[in-house]
Amino acid sequence: MTAKWVGKRMAMGIVVLLIVSFLSFFIMQAAPGDPAAAFYGGNAQTLTTAEKERITHAFALDQPVAYRYVAWLRETVKGNFGTSYKEGRPVSTILMERLPNTLLLFCATMFFIIAGSIWLGTVAGMKEGSIWDRGLSIFSIATSSIPAFWLGILFIYFFSVSVGILPSSGSSDVSGHGGLLDTIRHLIMPASVLILTHVGIYARFLQEGIKKENRQYYVKVARANGVKEAIIRKGIMRNAAIPYLNYIAITIPSFFGGSIIVESLFGWSGLGQLTVKAVVTKDFPLLMGSVMITGVIVVISLFILDLIMYAMDPKLRKGGVR
Amino acid sequence: MISVSDLSIQIHDKPIIDHVEFTIPRSQITSLIGESGSGKSLTVSAMLGLLPANAKVSGEVLYDGRNLLSESDQVMERIRKKDIFTIFQDAANSFSPSVKMGSQLYAFSGGRVGDAKDVYHMKMHVILESLGLSLGIVEQYPFELSGGMLQRCMIACAFYVEPALLIADEPTSALDMVLQKEFIELVTSLNKERGTTILLITHDLDIVAEAAHTMAVMQRGQVVETGTVEAVFAQPVHAYTKRLLASRF
Amino acid sequence: MKSRKALWFWYSLLGLIVFLTVFSSVLAPFGSNEMNMDEVYSAPSGDHWLGTDHLGRDVFTRLLEGGRVTLAVAGGSVILSLIIGIVYGGISGYLGGVIDTVMMRLLEALITIPSLVIILAFQVFMQGGMWSMALIIGLTGWLVTARIVRSEFIRLKEAEFVKMAKMFGTPVWKILWGHLLRNSVPAIFVITLFNFAAAIFTEVSLSFLGIGIPPAIPSWGNMLYYAQNDILIGAWWIALFPGIMIFMTILSINFIGEAWKDPERRRVND
Repeated sequence: MTAKWVGKRMAMGIVVLLIVSFLSFFIMQAAPGDPAAAFYGGNAQTLTTAEKERITHAFALDQPVAYRYVAWLRETVKGNFGTSYKEGRPVSTILMERLPNTLLLFCATMFFIIAGSIWLGTVAGMKEGSIWDRGLSIFSIATSSIPAFWLGILFIYFFSVSVGILPSSGSSDVSGHGGLLDTIRHLIMPASVLILTHVGIYARFLQEGIKKENRQYYVKVARANGVKEAIIRKGIMRNAAIPYLNYIAITIPSFFGGSIIVESLFGWSGLGQLTVKAVVTKDFPLLMGSVMITGVIVVISLFILDLIMYAMDPKLRKGGVR
Repeated sequence: MISVSDLSIQIHDKPIIDHVEFTIPRSQITSLIGESGSGKSLTVSAMLGLLPANAKVSGEVLYDGRNLLSESDQVMERIRKKDIFTIFQDAANSFSPSVKMGSQLYAFSGGRVGDAKDVYHMKMHVILESLGLSLGIVEQYPFELSGGMLQRCMIACAFYVEPALLIADEPTSALDMVLQKEFIELVTSLNKERGTTILLITHDLDIVAEAAHTMAVMQRGQVVETGTVEAVFAQPVHAYTKRLLASRF
Repeated sequence: MKSRKALWFWYSLLGLIVFLTVFSSVLAPFGSNEMNMDEVYSAPSGDHWLGTDHLGRDVFTRLLEGGRVTLAVAGGSVILSLIIGIVYGGISGYLGGVIDTVMMRLLEALITIPSLVIILAFQVFMQGGMWSMALIIGLTGWLVTARIVRSEFIRLKEAEFVKMAKMFGTPVWKILWGHLLRNSVPAIFVITLFNFAAAIFTEVSLSFLGIGIPPAIPSWGNMLYYAQNDILIGAWWIALFPGIMIFMTILSINFIGEAWKDPERRRVND
């Protein structure tokens, strides 16, 4: 059962990546000029005839589009994304440099969003009608209405320009020898902007879930029979956790979109900022590579969430509905 | 053992229960009968101290000389835990969907009375076997069991707890005929063997005839007739009871 | 009662914002591209209520003009995504079976790709005017609408009155239009409201990054693009006011959407 389920989810992930790869291939096809030149960017002139022939052969430029796509995909799967127009270096190298920063921002914000929303959502959801309950609803609608980058601008004005306690941009100081503490100092603003604009909606989803679960029949039965409140609450949390995790999974793609903008604002040298740079400078190979790797990160995070849900939801495990 | 007197409940200023009076004699099976919407379940909620927050209640529910309506939440929690076991209509939804039956059964039985796990295991195994339930169910989830099996799990917990009062709120309406009969037999045996006082809430006169000693008939939030089952069946006084009895055959 | 009053407040706020932006050309005190090099970065004053920007242009004027652009782009994209969503979801839900399964699997896959990444990729080629922006946002924003339409159609398809209509030989288009679509309107309305808010977010985000609407056209996002640098020299008013407008717009849409999402309150409003 488990193997079949894992297989199904992986197949889904592969379909997603295939669609992303169509998109990437389309970018390259639509790029002005010769695709081989596009692929090797500004370095195309420096290639020898033999190398050009190899590329023409590798991309099967004399062949139909479908064939070319397969040839390109084969190169991509091997990790060959071509050479950046602007930097003249392999795209894969640039991506690998940026990846740790993006993962750091992503994991740090996600950790605080999940921890914070569980805390807020539980407190508010368990006390229906309380000030927490009503307060969180308003807080979540209000904070999710703020554009994250605008909050970021205000933060920069306040913390960097007026008070001057936090750096306005970058992911480490210029020398690059600032160490962990310096990285954290740079991380604070982008991370707190993302956390503040997202923690509310996640908390609210959990809050509503807990309130709904609290009205369930089994809770009434348990209360009527004097089952310990702690045990009842544990059961409620467990059952509310499954749709909550599902909600995180659904919203991860848009969360990723939001972090692209925040990365750019704060000059956080991650993949998001790189993607935007690639668009602005029309660096096609770099854009293709960033799009592909973003797809991979999203697919992997969704797969991890799927596994957690699978472990928590007996109905899923036993091959039931949902 | 319990006497309900002058019980009235209003929700949003609309009277739902109107001056209800009846008693539940000790060691007997009392049946509260009426159509759905007649206020039976709300009466039970009032007795258990589990009325919704928007309900206004007046009157008395006397239990061991105490008025349950004016007791604090803590006292009510203790009474619900120690003295009363309640079986509800919808057995399929009476258990948390993502928790194994084993720990839920414990919470409903051993956990309530404060038994250690090993004591619980020994006692519960005997009960489960006597009810024809395999021990394997403790490793299963509620959605893997049938409604009848889940209802028997509830009864198993009631057997374990040996409550002073067992309330069964429409316990059989989700079961088929065979399981209904089996359930009634189990309940009556609990009453005979251990002298458990039972309040049986139902809309089914056949069940009343088969199991109960005394009965109270409810209609639109009022108790219109009370008495022993024999007396009421032989000589119904109220028009509604007469109609109910006439429609039975 | 209290929540109904609050709802009217949000209706009026949104109405006011729309009114101000639609009639911006009449209401604005200056021309939106009227530069005045003697008055760059002047703080809010009697002449310029909300100050001026780096070219001495009046922020209040650009705020109204920019709002018109932003709301027009969002509105155009929402209409497009509404049409695509209804067609896709409607076909999937009405036909059912294998077609439905395939269409939904595809939809599930598309939903997992961050739409901003797709939009960024498209922007490389299509960076044109505001309508190409609306086109791109619309083309990537129909997924959730499609899912909602599908589930509504599936639910309604099984309803008694639709079965009756089919039995009496009502033509298919009449069932689709008169029964299924018309009864899905409340659900579609709610998701379209939220889509509208999301489209505003997307426009301002892209323009803020400098890859949205061309800089010559004022929009809330474009104003914030310049504000990034202006803020470093202390010109806070250029960043503050467009942001407040975006916030107020989205906030009122969200509160209205929340009220309509709750079916009980929807009934009260009917």
